[in-house]
Amino acid sequence: MALSHDGKNGSPGFLLTRLEDWARESSIWPVTFGLACCAIEMMATGASRFDMARFGSELFRASPRQADLMIVAGRVSQKMAPVLREIYDQMPEPKWVIAMGDCASCSGVFNNYALIQGVDKIVPVDVYVPGCPPTPDALLDSLIKLKERVRTDSRAARHGAQTGPGVGIPHQPS
Amino acid sequence: MTANVETLRSAFASAEIGLPADGIPTVRVPLVELTSAVQRVTRDLGFNRFVDLTAIDRLTSEERFELVYLFYSMQRHTWLRLKTRTDSEAPSITEQIPGANWYEREVWDLFGVRFEGHPELRRIMLPDDWQGHPLRRSEPLGFEPVDFTVTRDVYGGVGSQVSGLGEHA
Amino acid sequence: MTADTRHLIPGTSERSERELLTVNMGPQHPSTHGVLRLELRLDGEVVVHCRPVIGYLHTGIEKTFEAKTYVQGVVLTDRMDYLNPLGNNLAYALSIEKLIGCEIPERATVLRVLLAELTRIASHLMFVGSIALDLGASSPFLYVWREREKILDFFERISGVRMMTSFIRPGGLVRDIEPAIVSDISRFIDEMPAYIDSYEELLTANPIFRERTEGIGGLSADDALALAVTGPTLRASSVDFDVRKSNPYCGYETYDFAIPTGTVGDCYDRYLVRVAEMRESVKICRQALDRLTEGSVRTEDRKVMPPPREELAKSMEAVIHHFKLWTEGIKPPPGEAYVGVESPRGELGFFVVSDGTGRPIRVHERAPSFANLQALPKLTEGGMVADVVACIASLDPILGEVDR
Repeated sequence: MALSHDGKNGSPGFLLTRLEDWARESSIWPVTFGLACCAIEMMATGASRFDMARFGSELFRASPRQADLMIVAGRVSQKMAPVLREIYDQMPEPKWVIAMGDCASCSGVFNNYALIQGVDKIVPVDVYVPGCPPTPDALLDSLIKLKERVRTDSRAARHGAQTGPGVGIPHQPS
Repeated sequence: MTANVETLRSAFASAEIGLPADGIPTVRVPLVELTSAVQRVTRDLGFNRFVDLTAIDRLTSEERFELVYLFYSMQRHTWLRLKTRTDSEAPSITEQIPGANWYEREVWDLFGVRFEGHPELRRIMLPDDWQGHPLRRSEPLGFEPVDFTVTRDVYGGVGSQVSGLGEHA
Repeated sequence: MTADTRHLIPGTSERSERELLTVNMGPQHPSTHGVLRLELRLDGEVVVHCRPVIGYLHTGIEKTFEAKTYVQGVVLTDRMDYLNPLGNNLAYALSIEKLIGCEIPERATVLRVLLAELTRIASHLMFVGSIALDLGASSPFLYVWREREKILDFFERISGVRMMTSFIRPGGLVRDIEPAIVSDISRFIDEMPAYIDSYEELLTANPIFRERTEGIGGLSADDALALAVTGPTLRASSVDFDVRKSNPYCGYETYDFAIPTGTVGDCYDRYLVRVAEMRESVKICRQALDRLTEGSVRTEDRKVMPPPREELAKSMEAVIHHFKLWTEGIKPPPGEAYVGVESPRGELGFFVVSDGTGRPIRVHERAPSFANLQALPKLTEGGMVADVVACIASLDPILGEVDR
């Protein structure tokens, strides 16, 4: 898409790229990926007291093909890991991942055979949210941090390039 | 509770009957008598609700796994525990008690006790291609060493090194 | 369409057998209440075969218990049935206290009942919100979260954490609850019946809600008992069994409350039973608050609960007890114990096996949702595929305790 080119020739110019960044960060729609206890706090964040919608995340889309953000809310078991990767792969670019909670970040309390020790082993993560479960305030904070990143460099920072694709996974360009 | 134990003693003449800390009478039967014991418990003695089935790995060289069945009597409001020991196999009670289906699959998955006569004995918790039965006490927890500075002498500087499942430094 | 032209339509066949369509209601789905996968085989819209596949949230918690001390294990119990964390803590603590045989003071027991019932109200609120949301009504979800947030605020004031409080430990509670919080809870309990009325106003007589839940997913009493189903699902199938009444713990025999039961055992009955249970829980909370007296919230047994910090400056024995608890932990005598409690989903219990050391050799959770979910094929087969969502929502499973 011409809009996403960084090149000088045919570059859309300052106004349009800024517009694109603003549009992207103002309407980040997550995919429903609540797995365990963090999902309940994610629902709390979506409910009326904390209200993610006022930050642009109006809806959780059930289909990954219509979502930009995957909030991995909960522990990822061995059986669920391929499903997680498949949902991630089905999301169109640009996409971001928030590892919500200790289990998604580093397997939290459960350092054992059954869990993937941190979801960044299989998908690149943009923001890690500590907490077990993180309070809705913490999740909103992480969403705001993500929006800052999206606003400043949503085109260049394919998050695989910035954070590293995850230990042991070769970086697949585009 | 004592009346209950007396009833059990008369019903299970040869079995060992105990009363552990929680007050639930426990009947220990040999594996060959398990199916008939379950029938006696559920039909004759009135423990008509199946509650739980689990296993304990006793790590003995013989009859390693202790299967623990828990039943409940809706009339008398008491529990009953039925125990048996096995090395690797046990008869399935799913035909009599449909509710035991997933419980037996779980014990097969996590302990490796095969239930003969189960309609569909497949793994339930772990992926279908998983090797091993993790809840056996001979299998490791499978933890990944965390790089704390105070444990670097023990695990070495782990840093970004990822240890495989089941291996620890 | 006349008989002559049928042969022009692709797929029509003269055969009497119909081709079944296999649909995967995958682990990632907005309405499966967690990571539950259903393999559905459909004949048109009718579900012919439903096979639940679980294990997508298997966390190896039971194995992890064996590596932790008994008090460290409390933290793991919160995360199994994550909508009933204090109830899980209570069941675990009761099993260990049975093993050790220690006395719990009166104030701790009453507060345990209060916290368990508040958690039950919070869990049923979540049920009302999610069953409405699954069936397309999005407003009740936001309304119930208003009350649920108030309850979570109480937990945060009491323990510092909204959800995974780990507040009920073997031997009592972690710390006492201040009078200011108790009076705020009291005011909340007084307001609660009016809020429950408002939720009922939205859903109970709602023709769309009734159309989607009445007559759907019926489960007979015999089938429910044969499938080891417990809790509101069993009570909706007109079996009046509640562990709090039949095998009381924590003094439940002294509280005055009723057991709501259903008549038909369909999804609507399961909804009605849970709403009525919320009202009963409010009554129990009121009685618990009224009978709350001064006292300690920890057992006197110094081998279970540490001495208060002031004593450490004065008594050598206190220091030794403190030291042994922090290095070796609680060491119950060898044996095993199971105490059944009534969780919002059914009979919950922790089967704890001890060998006399500081770590258990086996902890097994009798998870009510594990057995309840076995009933799902019975509920859905023969019905329409759209009713599968209503059936799952009415069973109220929590995959955290199903998969452990």
